[in-house]
Amino acid sequence: MRAYETMLVLKADLEEETRDALIAKYEGIVAKEGGTVQQATKYGKRRLAYEINKNREGFYVLLNFEANSTTPAELERLMKIDDNVLRYLTVVKEQ
Amino acid sequence: MSEQREQREHREQRGGFNKKRRGKRRKVCNFCVDKVKVVDYKDVNRLGRYVSERGKILPRRITGNCAAHQRAVTVAIKNSRIVALMPYTAEV
Repeated sequence: MRAYETMLVLKADLEEETRDALIAKYEGIVAKEGGTVQQATKYGKRRLAYEINKNREGFYVLLNFEANSTTPAELERLMKIDDNVLRYLTVVKEQ
Repeated sequence: MSEQREQREHREQRGGFNKKRRGKRRKVCNFCVDKVKVVDYKDVNRLGRYVSERGKILPRRITGNCAAHQRAVTVAIKNSRIVALMPYTAEV
């Protein structure tokens, strides 16, 4: 088990329900893979430093979790498919 | 004799070859001073000080960071570019 931190940038024009559902979905995946989500922080809307697929704004979410090393790969696989996720970044949390 | 001396003085005034460079002090690494262990890619305010107006990463010669922290800063800036917190390029 390792501590990870995933930042995801969602489309800013999503409705709140869809957004929460998305976050819940990724939390569920971590749980399904046998990890534990410590915290999901919503940073809110922020102007992107550069345009991504015609989007000028993004909704930033931070996911802190502990999981096996296979989990980030699975998460990233699903985020890659998801059109509502503009960008994602997973880093290993240093202790 | 006196002419030679005059010349030397002139040179020192310009600060050309003399070793004692006035007003230039050795820079110290800001991260070492603050005892920062991990440079966070989310800390845009802090990282913003290590890029140029154009968004380019500044060299160690200018930032004065120690080698280890400069490496960490570079990685943090690049990570922060991935999630569009910082620009790859910026218009001047």
